[in-house]
Amino acid sequence: MQKSRKIVILGHFGVGKTSLIRRFVSDSFSDKYKVTIGVHITKKVVEISDDETISLIIWDLEGTDEVQMVRDAYLLGTHGVVFVFDVSRPSTFQGINEDLMIVAEKTPNTPLILVGNKIDLVINSELQGLLIENNIEANFLTSAKTGDSVNEMFTHLASLLNDLS
Amino acid sequence: MTFLEQYREQYINQNIQFIVIDFDGQILESDQTFIKLGKGDFIYDIHPFFISYTSILESQEETVTYNCVHIEYQGKEFITDVKMIKKDSSILLVVYDLTDHYITYQNIAQARNESIINSELVVLRNLELEERERFKNAFIRNFSHELRNPLTGIISITNVIEGTNLTSEQLQMVNFLKESNSNLKLLLDDIMSLSMISSGKLQLRDKVFNLYDLLQLIEFTYKTKAAQKSLEFVLNYDKRVPKLVEGDRLRLFQIITNLLDNAFKFSINGKVVLDVQLNQKRANKVSLRFKVSDNGVGIPKEKITSIFESFTQLDATGKQQGSGLGLSIVKGLLELMDTTIRVESKVGEGSEFYFDLTLKYPLDLASKPIIIDTAKATSLSKMEGERKFKLLMVEDDERVQTVLFKALMDTNLFYIDLVNDGALVFEQVTNNAYDVILMDVDLPNIPGDHLTKLIRDFPFKNIKNIPIIGITANAFEEDINDYLNIGMNAVVPKPFDLQELIETVLKFLKK
Repeated sequence: MQKSRKIVILGHFGVGKTSLIRRFVSDSFSDKYKVTIGVHITKKVVEISDDETISLIIWDLEGTDEVQMVRDAYLLGTHGVVFVFDVSRPSTFQGINEDLMIVAEKTPNTPLILVGNKIDLVINSELQGLLIENNIEANFLTSAKTGDSVNEMFTHLASLLNDLS
Repeated sequence: MTFLEQYREQYINQNIQFIVIDFDGQILESDQTFIKLGKGDFIYDIHPFFISYTSILESQEETVTYNCVHIEYQGKEFITDVKMIKKDSSILLVVYDLTDHYITYQNIAQARNESIINSELVVLRNLELEERERFKNAFIRNFSHELRNPLTGIISITNVIEGTNLTSEQLQMVNFLKESNSNLKLLLDDIMSLSMISSGKLQLRDKVFNLYDLLQLIEFTYKTKAAQKSLEFVLNYDKRVPKLVEGDRLRLFQIITNLLDNAFKFSINGKVVLDVQLNQKRANKVSLRFKVSDNGVGIPKEKITSIFESFTQLDATGKQQGSGLGLSIVKGLLELMDTTIRVESKVGEGSEFYFDLTLKYPLDLASKPIIIDTAKATSLSKMEGERKFKLLMVEDDERVQTVLFKALMDTNLFYIDLVNDGALVFEQVTNNAYDVILMDVDLPNIPGDHLTKLIRDFPFKNIKNIPIIGITANAFEEDINDYLNIGMNAVVPKPFDLQELIETVLKFLKK
């Protein structure tokens, strides 16, 4: 069996978790919002170097505004977490630092990446102000629609998990 | 079938598949309920979800249940609950196909989430619009403030020039200049009114006033105007209308004059009529209908709504004068008064603008009907021959200083001291016995409102009670109210009319 790592994508509903995965896995995008219930699991093999690959098993979890409510079974055996918020909807990032602490408690010793998605909907200067104002330290700012930084984000995580294994 | 029965049936008739795998993920046994599996196949090749079996090996748990797992298999999607039970040398997987049940849940979640997201977007959009509106109003506020100071200078100097020896040609040019000044001032006032209405900063000031006097003033003004345009102006009023009513006189005047100006603008001949009728009287409230009608060009039906929008002019050629703000102001002010402007119009025949307004009226004085009186004129000359007053002028703008100084000296009523710095005022006030202070608000070092407060807090009555007339370019109602609350006796906004300013000063002098 190829070396595989399980990553879970968390965040409020409608922040674009499924769209990020779709952009990464099949390089496609749809404007139509379709709610995710439960969990969708996708696999993507990522090339780490010329002779090294890793299989990412991506768990796209149902969005929730209460991270505490995420089912523990979904997080079992998780190697990495991506927490996504929507830069254009304040309700998805207000109190995000508390959410991150809960996630860290539920998945101890697991790398966690914070991603601000939908940057195509906001002006960059306003976005920077908004991040500072809300004390948010996002690791990646992405747009599933344009593809901005999506591959970079997943590849970065894959490398990180590869180095840790 | 009830929901419970449907739900029960889904479970009773559900498809359940049992699979046994070894710790390497190789299938030992399986039924073929909905996923066709062969003995010896690896379970993780069927779908990446099944790699999770390794998690239970690493876990202390004997049983783990995954709910609502989407499993795509041979082009079909199953939504399942999967239970993994760890045995001694194998793992039992129980896969429940609950697709129908979860699709129902998905539809509900879709509707719920879309509704929440849409509500959030509406709130955000409104916030953005409010922010833009705030920015716009702040801009207008600053803009009008900046314009008022130079305009005061232009108007005042024009008045001074008018009083000098001029040739007839020069006088004609001064008259053009005065008219342009007047139009610019009206435009500025309109912009400010609209800005105050849209920012919610305009507050109505209800006071008892003489409606008859107001109508008389309007009649006098518009009869003169009508004569200049070869029009006829008629005021019709119901004799049962109370003479004294309680409301915002200034704003009612603004509404009626805006409607009349509009009627005059679009009438070439014929007549403009202001009609004031009593709808009903109850207790101490009276409902009145105000109607302005004309024989003007009329308004096409499709344009009736848009004429109340800012900067909208019916005449797209731009030949008509005016800012296009008048009817927006009427609409906004009437909304503040809890009523609505209505229009009836026919192209080529004319228009009728009307509104109903409920006003309070004092019962003991209300019975007297309106009777037309001759106007009382106030004249400065009445004051001539009386003692002179000592006036302190606190103003740093040289143009305003010059104009005010000349106008006040011309009345022959004042001895004038001039101070152009806020820091020098206190010394001046304590060493002199002034009858009145004319105080600009924007002063170097100490602003006029602050100085007023200091004077009002002074322990000696002869100083603390000196009448203070403020002059300011901050002409918003809330600013003026602030200055009055601090202790100014009156506030005259820039640009001001000299006659009006002097009359205000005289009002506070002890004769």
